[in-house]
Amino acid sequence: MHVFTQCRAGRLLLAALAGLLVLGTLASAPALARDTLTLAVKGEPDDGYDPTLGWGRYGNPLFQSTLLKRDENLNIVNDLATARSLSEDGLTWNLTIREDARFSDGSKLTAEDVAYTFNTAAKAGGKVDLINMDKAEATGEYGVRITLKKRDTTFINRLISLGIVPKALHGPGYARRPVGSGPYKMVEWNEGQQMIAEINPHYYGDKPFFKRLVFLFTDEDTSFAAAKAGKVDVVVVPQALAVQTIPGMVLHPVKSVDNRGLMFPCVPDTGQVTDKGAPIGNDVTADPAIRKAIDVAVDRELLVRGVLEGFGRPAYGPCDGLPWDNPENVFKDADPDAARKILADAGWKDTDGDGIVEKDGVKAEFTVIYPADRAIRQYLALAVADMLRPVGIHAVVEGKRSWDEIKHLMHSEVIVFGWGAHDPIEVYQLYSSHHAGEGFNNPGFYKNDKVDEYLDAAVAAENYEASLPLWRKAQWDGTTGSNGLGDAPWVWLVNLEHTYFVSEHLDVGVSQVEPHGHGWPVTANIQKWTWKD
Amino acid sequence: MHAISPSFCLGKLGRLALILSLVSVLAFTLVSLSPVDPVNAYIGIDRMQISLEQEQRIVKRWGLDRPAPERFAIWAGHALRGDLGQSMIFNEPVTTVIGKRFVTSLWLMASAWLLSGLLGFVLGVTAGTNRNSFADRVIRVYSYTLASTPSFWMGLVLLAVFSVSLGWTPICCATPPGVSPGDATLWQRLHHLILPAATLSLIGVAQIALHTREKTIDAMHSEYALFALAQGESRAGVAWRHAMRNVALPAVTLQFASLGELFGGSVLAEQVFSYPGLGKATVEAGIRGDVPLLLGITLFSAVFVFAGNLIADILYGVLDPRIRIGAEEAR
Repeated sequence: MHVFTQCRAGRLLLAALAGLLVLGTLASAPALARDTLTLAVKGEPDDGYDPTLGWGRYGNPLFQSTLLKRDENLNIVNDLATARSLSEDGLTWNLTIREDARFSDGSKLTAEDVAYTFNTAAKAGGKVDLINMDKAEATGEYGVRITLKKRDTTFINRLISLGIVPKALHGPGYARRPVGSGPYKMVEWNEGQQMIAEINPHYYGDKPFFKRLVFLFTDEDTSFAAAKAGKVDVVVVPQALAVQTIPGMVLHPVKSVDNRGLMFPCVPDTGQVTDKGAPIGNDVTADPAIRKAIDVAVDRELLVRGVLEGFGRPAYGPCDGLPWDNPENVFKDADPDAARKILADAGWKDTDGDGIVEKDGVKAEFTVIYPADRAIRQYLALAVADMLRPVGIHAVVEGKRSWDEIKHLMHSEVIVFGWGAHDPIEVYQLYSSHHAGEGFNNPGFYKNDKVDEYLDAAVAAENYEASLPLWRKAQWDGTTGSNGLGDAPWVWLVNLEHTYFVSEHLDVGVSQVEPHGHGWPVTANIQKWTWKD
Repeated sequence: MHAISPSFCLGKLGRLALILSLVSVLAFTLVSLSPVDPVNAYIGIDRMQISLEQEQRIVKRWGLDRPAPERFAIWAGHALRGDLGQSMIFNEPVTTVIGKRFVTSLWLMASAWLLSGLLGFVLGVTAGTNRNSFADRVIRVYSYTLASTPSFWMGLVLLAVFSVSLGWTPICCATPPGVSPGDATLWQRLHHLILPAATLSLIGVAQIALHTREKTIDAMHSEYALFALAQGESRAGVAWRHAMRNVALPAVTLQFASLGELFGGSVLAEQVFSYPGLGKATVEAGIRGDVPLLLGITLFSAVFVFAGNLIADILYGVLDPRIRIGAEEAR
């Protein structure tokens, strides 16, 4: 070789050779490329693949398509719909759908199918909540009108998440043999083991690169072992395993709003109980000074490093970085001096020298409860308890066996919860006092009239865009709000990063910021994935 | 052949009916008392996007808004007509789920059952014939150790050694990833069956070997064995030709009567190997609160174990005429 490099001709020849080589690999790339992709990302649906029962709420219904969708930056863009408008009174959606959409059996997708899907899902009693919808009707072959019972800016999320099913083929067996207008069609599903899909030849969008997808529904350990054995191309792993290496695979961490935070009872204990007999109120956490002191005392960076192996980011709110997030939620934490000052200013003092502050004879003590089978929540609770000791707050950490037990205690004790959704309705349920104590909504009975006002206004705004500033104001309007600068009814700790190993040959493009519950959402852009040699 | 008389059949059928009704009442009661709230388990992480009104609809769809006795009556009425209802998690009739899953499990259970039966019997006779020999000691230590080994732990060890470290056997499932069960070759199926079946058999061997060993020792000290030995038969000859029948009877009975344990073991083994059989479906049904499926599987397993005991009863008569004659004289 070195003989060549001594003269120009040689260098030219080398360049030519290199060029040929590159051309050669490019030409042979399709031959080497794989047309089957194997994924182990969990997310096997409970009800099968029927969107009217809730299939495809996260990421990608795969077999069906939706009227609208969110791109990788979470902006709302058209999918089946080509035009959309919301009436002045905010009660009527008018949508035009594309004329070239076909189901995988070749039949046309029309407005009838869209109306049928919405009306069926409303009655189905699955995971699609269309309580606010009055009816959906076809106004022509490609026109759909959806009427709401009352203004609801979050309804647009149903247009994003509900996959359209064919009226003619939808029935009892549909969930097992879905037919839709999505990029892929179902080949076979063996519950608990795998699901096989292949390209839908009638798909109106760009043809996906991979002709065949195999989803393995194995548990975490089995999936990881399968990845180690080189059997899968994409695998989701818990953060604890993300520090390992898998030959031939690279780590693909994805940002998420899958958050963990502490919920505080915000009312004092007056002996009140719920209709199920659960006690309400906690005299210590009802004092905003306690909650704010905790908020600034906690070292979130340390939690990310220590508990999440670095796979996460500090959380300052329930929707960090989403379009309805208020950037002013961020503040300086890991500041025990500031925490001590907040407590002292509010009259919490350690008079008996036991290292725990007290006020009016009440010690700053409470129990932090987590579900016993969730390791991350346990470590977070223990770490936070350690961080609070130096500021004079005594947190006792306790694991509980089941959510039913936790439900009974969540109005009177501090709970480690995890949320995070691509839907601002979650912010409403967390902070609004209107449904406090129902289900898991606002278990701490937090009430701030100004926040309630903003939240109601956000839901009833004239449209989604107009609702965004109102959601932000509910968190902080400059003087009051539900964030750490305001009443701090929650102390948000971390947002997890979802950790995947993907084959080093696989290009998965840009992943969306994912919601709570990892796995399936990573497939949101699966039709854009490619194989590179 | 021994007479499977009408009265014998009627008696057994009556007993089966009684067992099934008791089992369903008990299972239903237990499920109703379970701390798992199926609606909560179903909604899971969608908690915040589902309003109370929608939750009420889910409750209604599953008929959970009615009191438990009424739900049981409705279920029992359907069950008597052979309709065990819809599985909540598979979205299919329960009978279909059980049918499909049982076929998958049957491969596993049958191979494990045959292997452990034959191997256990041979080991037991060998140990019993040559009492206190080296072979006997090895077999005994093996059996005592294995008898107290949990099957899931055994499965994990085998998985770690043969699948993860050596890569000889597949990690999971009944067929290779991406191959549908219909297209899998016989070898592929067997390949996926090796480890789960080995797990079940290795453990199942212990009980049958120890039991057979005791019986063989007794048989070797019996008068007919001593007589045969006195006539110059070798020990092995006496064991395999004379003692065999008397030892085989309890062994076979035990093997059929242990179908319940086999079923229980397969639940754990299937969980470890993600083997999509009835055992895995049972765990899913339990965790996710799929009451119709859980009840269906409970009934099915009761019938399964009952059938095992029934076969053991009938075989008794076939293998040992004395029992048959005794039964006829008693009538």
